[in-house]
Amino acid sequence: MTSTKDVAAMPAGNTPPASPRVPTLRARRRRKGFGDSVLPYLLLAPGVIAIAALLIWPTLQLVLISFRKLDLRELVTGQLVWVGIDNYTDVLGDPVFWEVTVRTLAFMAAVVAATILIALLLALLMKQLNPIVRVILQVTLVVAWATPAVAATTVFQWIFDQQYGILNKTLALIGFDGFIGHSWFSDGPSTLTVIGLLITWQAVPFVAFSLYAGLIGVPREQYEAAGIDGAGPWQTFRTVSWPAIQPILTIVTFLSVIWDFRVFTQVWAIKQGGPDGESTTLPIYMYLKGIAGSHFGPAAAIAMIMLLVLVILLARYIQLLLRSKEVDLK
Amino acid sequence: MRKSLPQRIALNTVGVVGALLFGFPTYWLITTSFKTPGEVLSPRYDLIPISVTFENFTSALSKPGFTAFLANSLIVTLGAVLTALVAGVLAAFPLARMRFRGRKGFLFLVLVAQLAPIEALLIPLYLLMRDAGLLNQLPSLLLVYMALTLPFTCWMLYGFVKGIPIELEEAAMIDGCGRWQAFRRVTLPLLGPGLVATSVFSFITAWNEFLFALVLMQDQGKRTIPVWLSTFREAFLVDWGGIMAASVIYAVPALIFFLIVQRKLVSGLTAGAVKG
Repeated sequence: MTSTKDVAAMPAGNTPPASPRVPTLRARRRRKGFGDSVLPYLLLAPGVIAIAALLIWPTLQLVLISFRKLDLRELVTGQLVWVGIDNYTDVLGDPVFWEVTVRTLAFMAAVVAATILIALLLALLMKQLNPIVRVILQVTLVVAWATPAVAATTVFQWIFDQQYGILNKTLALIGFDGFIGHSWFSDGPSTLTVIGLLITWQAVPFVAFSLYAGLIGVPREQYEAAGIDGAGPWQTFRTVSWPAIQPILTIVTFLSVIWDFRVFTQVWAIKQGGPDGESTTLPIYMYLKGIAGSHFGPAAAIAMIMLLVLVILLARYIQLLLRSKEVDLK
Repeated sequence: MRKSLPQRIALNTVGVVGALLFGFPTYWLITTSFKTPGEVLSPRYDLIPISVTFENFTSALSKPGFTAFLANSLIVTLGAVLTALVAGVLAAFPLARMRFRGRKGFLFLVLVAQLAPIEALLIPLYLLMRDAGLLNQLPSLLLVYMALTLPFTCWMLYGFVKGIPIELEEAAMIDGCGRWQAFRRVTLPLLGPGLVATSVFSFITAWNEFLFALVLMQDQGKRTIPVWLSTFREAFLVDWGGIMAASVIYAVPALIFFLIVQRKLVSGLTAGAVKG
């Protein structure tokens, strides 16, 4: 680190003090010395080394491991056993994998749809609210967003607790006596519903704020013009609000897909994929196979398949990103 | 658009109901942590704590190792934030101020790295740390968290440096400062708010991280708070007040930091496309 700083300081030492013959900045820029052409690379070096060592190298390793047999025995002996595409055929031939994949995609789709819908309604609502109510709503959203995932998980477990949870108590209070002692975590669909609620609760604020930011960016005159033209609320939304938030909506939808497809923390912390593996999603499946089961080869194959699924889901997003970056990277 | 009074009342009612629904879990988390064990488990229905007690907090803090886990979390998180910040500032300066080959390539790499699911790298990183003898060593987690936050840090700081007019640096250079001096004396101080926002964001990311902490730190004594909390049933049995108190202690730093930079987060996130 210090060596980079020294190099960065070098031009300072070499620069002549202000004198009548100081070259203009432009001229100085044109006459790049050796130090100037190396400097950016030296400054970037720590970042590049870290990214290369901790992100790029492991990615290459992941590809290789997915073609290896790597169980505890190979791990201990350090043997390299190549098995070609066996890991992939094993994983793809396992009905459990398909069950988990379908579940993961359905869960992701449900959570993303709920998140986007609720967030859109909240963003539109926020525009119409009395300032005090708006601030109260925004504060509760920020707090939900900021609560760490594991802390949020513990309180959801407490709310949904079989015996003492506030939800069962409330349901009993308003006359649904069947819910006294009801277990919300006794089967997969119910467990996944609670996890989905938890994730949606934490995911809505970011999306709602993004959309709200887009909405308040619309000049007031556009709404007034729509009003003068006699547009109803739905027409105003379609012609004025929608064009303003549509690009933001696209981005946040894609981001939600990425995040909800790979979510691990809440699913694991609630029931560890149980009961009987019924709430297992792909990241949990990969963890159970790889780390807990020490079958690193198939687990790497699962990770590769997950990456592939994400790339397919996000093809359009990557395209959009590349296009927008052409403008920004100049 | 003018709305009639009944319409406005209806909309604001929906707003209040929304606030109640979104606020409830955190409210319940905090109030439960102040209830007496008897009140927590009473069959009665109280939304407001009758008596306020701190015994849940003392009970949480006295759980074996709790303070050690808190310290582990702090060391790893702050270490990751600092290292990512240093590397990020060093990278942001040339990215925003200089023209060189590979600049676009690096920016693109940073962008892709933000989107790539690092969860997929769990297995190779686990093996890498194992081969390096770094399992159950806090530095391994620190490194992973730095890698996790570095792309975002670079991207945010790049944006912040770009936002500071280069003319200020040029003026300083005309006054006789070298490039480094101009950067240090003029740009770096102006970068202050950006540094704060970026490091708070990285702090929250690392503070919340769960999967790598679970896998790389399997030694009981090397655990971080989120992992320990997720296994609370063993530690607490059914002491819900204690669990909620421990969760509150864990959540408070994130909550405070979040409130500080909340406004900057939306723009930073949609621009850089990452999540906390």
